[in-house]
Formats: sequence, structure tokens, C-alpha cells
Amino acid sequence: MLTFNVDWSGEFFAFFLLAVCAIAGAVLAVNFTKVVHTALSMAFTFVSLAGLFILLRAEFVAFVQVLLYVGAVTILMIFGIMMTKHQDEGKEAGRPLQETLAAIGCLCLFGILFYAIRSAGFPAPADPLPGDNTMAIGKELYTGYAIPFELVSVLLTVAFVGAVALAKREEAEES
Amino acid sequence: MSMLASYLTLAAVLFCIGLYGVLTKRNAVVVLLSIELMLNAVNLNLIAFSRYGIAPSLKGQVFALFSMTVAAAEAAVGIAVLIALYRNRATVNVDEFDELRR
Amino acid sequence: MATVFSQYAWLVPAFPLAAFAVLTAMGRQQNRTGGWIATIASLASFVVALLILIERMSGNADDYNGSFDWLRVGGTQLTAGYEVTNLTSLMMAIVTFVSLLVNLYSIGYMKGDDRAAVFFAYVSLFVSSMLGLTLSDNLLIMYVCWELVGVCSFLLIGFWFQKPEARAAAKKAFIVTRIGDLGLLIAILLLFWYMPGHALDFSSLHNVFGTQSGLISTSLTTLIALLIFLGAAGKSGQFPLHVWLPDAMEGPTPISALIHAATMVAAGVFLVVRTFDIFAAAPAAMDTVAIVGAFTAIFAATIGLAQNDIKRVLAFSTVSQLGYMMLALGVGSTTAAMFHLFTHAFFKALLFLAAGSVIHAVHTQDIREMGGLGRRMKTTAWTFGIGALALSGIPPLSGFWSKDAILGAALDDRPWLFVVGAVAAFFTALYMARLFLLVFAGKPRGSAEAYAHAKESPAVMTVPLVVLAVLAVAAGFVMTPFQDWLGPWLSGGGEKEDANGVAIVVSIVVSLLGIGLGWLIYGGRGAVRPDVVSSRLPWLARLLERKYYVDELYDLLFVKSLGRLGQGLRFFDEVVVDGAVRLAGSAVSALGRANTRLQNGQVQTYGLVAIIAAVILVLAIAGRRFW
Repeated sequence: MLTFNVDWSGEFFAFFLLAVCAIAGAVLAVNFTKVVHTALSMAFTFVSLAGLFILLRAEFVAFVQVLLYVGAVTILMIFGIMMTKHQDEGKEAGRPLQETLAAIGCLCLFGILFYAIRSAGFPAPADPLPGDNTMAIGKELYTGYAIPFELVSVLLTVAFVGAVALAKREEAEES
Repeated sequence: MSMLASYLTLAAVLFCIGLYGVLTKRNAVVVLLSIELMLNAVNLNLIAFSRYGIAPSLKGQVFALFSMTVAAAEAAVGIAVLIALYRNRATVNVDEFDELRR
Repeated sequence: MATVFSQYAWLVPAFPLAAFAVLTAMGRQQNRTGGWIATIASLASFVVALLILIERMSGNADDYNGSFDWLRVGGTQLTAGYEVTNLTSLMMAIVTFVSLLVNLYSIGYMKGDDRAAVFFAYVSLFVSSMLGLTLSDNLLIMYVCWELVGVCSFLLIGFWFQKPEARAAAKKAFIVTRIGDLGLLIAILLLFWYMPGHALDFSSLHNVFGTQSGLISTSLTTLIALLIFLGAAGKSGQFPLHVWLPDAMEGPTPISALIHAATMVAAGVFLVVRTFDIFAAAPAAMDTVAIVGAFTAIFAATIGLAQNDIKRVLAFSTVSQLGYMMLALGVGSTTAAMFHLFTHAFFKALLFLAAGSVIHAVHTQDIREMGGLGRRMKTTAWTFGIGALALSGIPPLSGFWSKDAILGAALDDRPWLFVVGAVAAFFTALYMARLFLLVFAGKPRGSAEAYAHAKESPAVMTVPLVVLAVLAVAAGFVMTPFQDWLGPWLSGGGEKEDANGVAIVVSIVVSLLGIGLGWLIYGGRGAVRPDVVSSRLPWLARLLERKYYVDELYDLLFVKSLGRLGQGLRFFDEVVVDGAVRLAGSAVSALGRANTRLQNGQVQTYGLVAIIAAVILVLAIAGRRFW
């Protein structure tokens, strides 16, 4: 049996609240039929996750999360939705076999993961990470991770150029 | 149940919901969003470990940052591919994209 | 003595082979000239064969052997080549001579046939393969030619394949002889296995078996000899494989002459003569050969009494005479056998060609519808008469001397076989008298119109008859009890046939008795009514007419039962084997159809399958912990 022998500290309460928000947003996002609703619901989940990151003392990551996911990705998706006008919204013909099997597969996967998490003994951390470590991350990125950082910048450039090329080429051919 | 386990369980829940969305949704935009959700679940794991892991360090957060960057690039390219496909096929229904069959 | 011509012995089979090639290449445009091409080729062969024969007769020429390595597989070496001995030179001369006459005769007989060129091509190949069989210096080449002979006989018996009987006869000949061929093949394989150095040439066989070297045990030798005899019995129409030979009459008559006199049936006797060393080393096999030969001789002779088809009578006569030859071999006298083969070739070819001339004139083969033809066809009648007398064994015609040699040898060896042979000789004389008298003497019994149209055949057909008639008279003098050089010449000295007074007297008496009885019954005087036997003993006449029901017995024993077995196997094949195959096929295709549903091009489906598979994999690997 699961035993939620947790101490109802403020941190855990906050975690619980945010987790419920995140899961609810995700579930809603999957269940909504309108794509815009899905996108907005997903944005809600991303915000909740940003809150969880703050709880985990990762303020910078939380900031980037809001900026990148809630700001860029969701907006990008909404642009995508707008550009591919959805005349067939709402009439989602069900694929019962596919959905059932997918549900079973996902539940099984979750069961496995949950069992693994429950059975793995995580020793208590030696000394939890201190908060307000944006400076430290900056130092880490530009010293120890300079080369991956540069590579990621290259990747972003390539992705940017590639995305533009992909979206534009057809137009050039059409004209 | 430690906080770490709680975070990991939450990440697993989100991952599985995202996977379900990827496998069942027909709208390609929703599929892309579900992939973002899965990536976010992974990020949550990374950051949870960076705080509550055996040896807490900033490396987890750095990894999460890189992962986010890659996810952003993926989203951009994904949307571009989607738009290109839409121009060709006038649809974003994934079950009509069956080029792999031919 | 130089062997000038023997070196060129390979030319003898080469000429007809070339004719075959030319005729096949030319096709049907050569219907007119084809006969002459084949005749000229066989004339060339005959000239060479004659030169070789003269060369060998004129002195003690050495055997000439021209062979070369044919195949070398591992350490085993197969040679191919030809060998000229006194025996082969004599045999070649017979074969080429008969084939020359048959070719000449066929020009007249096959005139106007659409496929005359094809006919002559087959005949040339037939002769060529028979000559190859004669010349070959080892069993393997001999077997190749042996099978070629079989194929050609199949083609020629079924030459008029529009007739269902001809087709059936061709198939029957092929299948029945195949039974014998299988025996020969097994014998060759056994020899190949057990002979030192895997040698199959006749000189090695002579060295191993002829010198009592004991290299191969007696029981194995007996087995090999019996298997070879099985092959010979198949080709030479010995009981119980004789059934194809009478049916082979469905082919054109010149082919019957060729098969009966020179090429096909002689091959069996020749094979036994050639491998006689093996037989000599196996007394049990010798007994078998003698008994089978004697039985065949009397068995076929009695059947010949009751047949009404002119060619079938002659066919059973051939079976009977071949039985004589086997009898001679069985009692150990290759000389007598070869001598009888030699004389028989002439008078049997003569009889068949004369019969062909008769058939050509009256367009029927039923002797009950003939009669009185002697007045219309003088040459044919005279030559046929000479052949009949020779076959009956009337001195001084050739058949007398050779039959006497066989009977003499049998008397020396096993007197009871001599009695059987003498009785068979009596029957032979009786049915030949019946045949001659019914065809050529008396009043015409067929339609008057057919009789009126019957006229003598053209010269191209009668000339061979006359030539053969002369030889049928004279050929016997090469080996009389008074002046015998053939025996020592053939066997290389030593063997000397004793003149046996008892044999001579008995042989003459039974022949005269047979002819006399035939004259009384069929001579038209009415001394003994023709139905004297059939009215008293109808079952006997019926038994003889139906050829002792051997065909029916075979049909019941082998054809029907094998047919049943075949049907059963076919049922098994269709239901069980095909069912299994179809099941396998449909199972696979059903699996494939099921899998095409997965292979639908949807990435989501692929992902789903991957996830489920991964879950199963994890459960399978991690789940082991709980068991």
C-alpha cells in the first residue's frame, strides 16, 4: 500500500498544489477538442512547472521556462494553428483500438516507472543546493560548458535557418 | 515518501500523459505540444535530481537548460515542417500522413 | 599383321551419325533424297566394316583398342574408346549390312510418307548407336549407346504416332526395356564399385573374371551376371520381358526388320557375349540364362502357332530364336550364339522385308485374308520361302547349321535342354509352314479387289530380298560341323564345336516333321483340318492366341495395381501434401495480411507498437526477479 507519510510542510503543500495544476493542465490539454484550448491548457501546465522549478530552487531555469515555453513555444504553436486553419476541428473521429492500446501502454509504463521510483531507495542528500544560483549557473555555462553552449547556439541557428527554409521553399516553387 | 520521489512520480505522470497525447492525437500541433510536455517532464526530473539527488549540483540545471534549448529548436523546425506539409496536403491530420507506407 | 582399317573403325558409326545430323538439319525438304543420304551413309559404313572384317579374317590381327581419357574425377578415371576384335568386326558387318538393305528397302517402302526424312534420320541414329554399342570398349559407353538404341526404338516404333496402338506400343517397348536397363545400370554400378581401379573396360573384366582371380566373390558375380542378363532380357525380348517385342510390330515394317535382325534385340545377346566372362564365373547365372532361353524358345514358338498377324508370327519367332541364342549362351557356347545371331540376322531380315512387301501389296497384316499370293508376287514368295526354310532349319540353309550348333552344344551340356530346343524347333517349323502356306499358297481368301491389286513390289524392295535370300542360304557355311573356322576365329582358338550326329539327325527330323504336319494341315489337301486343335481343345487355342495371357497378367499385376497405387499417392499428394503446402502458404499470407495492418504508414501506430513492445520487454526482463 502506498503510504503518504509526508510531513505537511509549506513546501510540500506548495508542491502538491502546483502538481495538481500541472496534471490538470496536461489532462485537459489532452482532452480538449479545440486546438487553441489545448495550447492554452498546455501553457498553464508549463507555468505550473515553472512554479515547481522555483520550489526546487532553480529560479533561472524557471525564468527560462516561462520565457521559452510559455512565451515562445506556445506562441509558435498558436501561430502554427492559425496558419493551418482548422476547418476539421471538433469532429475528431475516434480510433478506439489505438486509444485503448495507447492508454494501456501508457498506464503500464507509468506502473513500471512508479514501481521503480517506489522501490529505489534514494538516500537523503548530503547538503541540499542553496538557492539563488543564477550567477553560479552563468559561471558554469561560460566556463565548464562553454563548448556545449556554443554548439547549442550553432544548433539554434541551424534550426532557425532550416525552419525558415522549410516554410519558405514551397512558396518559392509556387510562384 | 521523500520529496524526490514525489517529484519523480509527478514527472512520470506528465510523461505518460504526453506520451498518450503523442500516440492518440490526430492534430499535428497537439502532437508537437505533447512532445514538449514529455520533454518538460524530463526537465523536471533533471532539476529534481539536481536539488535532492545524492550529490546536489548545478549540473542538472545546466542540462535542463540545454534540453530546453533543443526543445525550442525542435518546436520551431516541427512547426516549419508542419506548415510545409500543410501547404502540400492541405491537412494537419497525422493519420493522413502515411508516406512511410509507400 | 598391320591393323590398317581397324584404326578407322570409328568411321563406321560416324557415317550414320553424320547422316542423322544432315537429315535432322535439312528437315522435311529432304523427303525424296533423305533415303539416299541414309543409304549412302550406311553403304560407306558397310564398306569400312567389310574391309575391317576382311582384314581380321585374313590373319591373326591383334585387337585394336583406341581409347582416350574421358573424365577424371578425383582419382577415378573414365575412359571412352572403341575396340576392334573379331567379335565386334563380325557384329559390325552384320549390323551395317542389314541396315544398308533396310535403308534401301525403306526408300521404296516409305515413299510418299510426309515424314520420310525424319524416318531415315531416326534409322541412321538407330544404326549409329547400335554400332557404337558394338564398338565400345567399356561398359559405360556401351550403356550410353544401349540407351540411345532404346530411345531410337521408341521413336521408330511410335513413328506413326497418329495410331494409338503405335503410341501404346512405343511406350510399352520403352517402359519394358527400361526395367531391363535398370538391371544393367545396377550391374554397371556394382562393377564400378567392386572392380579394381573402377575399370569398366572389357579387357579388365576379362582379366578379373576370366582368370578365376577371386577378386570378386561368386555370389556377387552371380548377382552382377543376373542383373546384366536382366538388361539383355529386356532388350532381347526374353521371358518375362518379351511382351514389348510383338507389340513393336506397330512400327513400319523395315523397322521391324532392323529391330529384329540387327540393331535392337541383337544388343541383348551381344551384351551377354561381350560380358561372357562374368557369366562363365557364375554357374548359377549360366543356368538361369539357359533355362530362361529354353523356356522363351518353346514358349514363344507355341504362341507363334496361333497368331494371325503376319508380323506377329515373325515377332514371336524372333523371341523364340533369341531364346535359342540365350540357350546357347547358357550352355556356354558363345560361338553358337553368335553364329545363330549371324544367320538369324539374314533370314529374319529377309522374312520381315518380304512380309513388308506382302503388306505393301495387300494392305493388310491378317494372314486369314491372304492366300494365293505366290502367283502374284513370285520374287517375294520365293525369297520368303527360303527364309522360312532357313528358319525352320532345313539343310543346307543357314538356319540349320546355326540351330544345329546350338542343339549340339545343349546336348553336350544338358540333354533335357536339348529336348526342349528340339520341341521348339518342331513348333518353329510348324508355324513357319503354316505362315507360308496361308500367305502364298491356296486360294485368295481376302477381297478379290485387294487380290487383283496385289502386285510385285518395286526393285528397290525386291533387290534386298534377293540379296538376303542368297545370304540366308549361304551364311551357314562359315561354320558347318565339317568345316569350322568361325568358332576358333571368334573365340581366339581352343573352342572346337564337335559334330554331333544325334543333334543333326534329330534337328533334321523335327524340322521335317513340323513342315510335314504344316503341309498336312494347311496344304489345302484337307488331310488334317486346320481347326483340329481348336475344336477339341478350344482353351488351348485360346491360350495360345492370347499369348498365355501374359499381357493380361501384367496388366492386372503391375499396370492396374500401380495405377491404384498412383491414384492413392495422387490423392495423398493432393489432400495431404498440397493441403500442408496450402496451409503453410495461407498461414503466411494471413500473417502477412495481419502485419500489413500494422504497416499502415502511421507513425503513431509504430510508436504505439514500440511502446507496448518496450513495456513487454521491461516486464520480461525485470519480471524475472519475481519468479
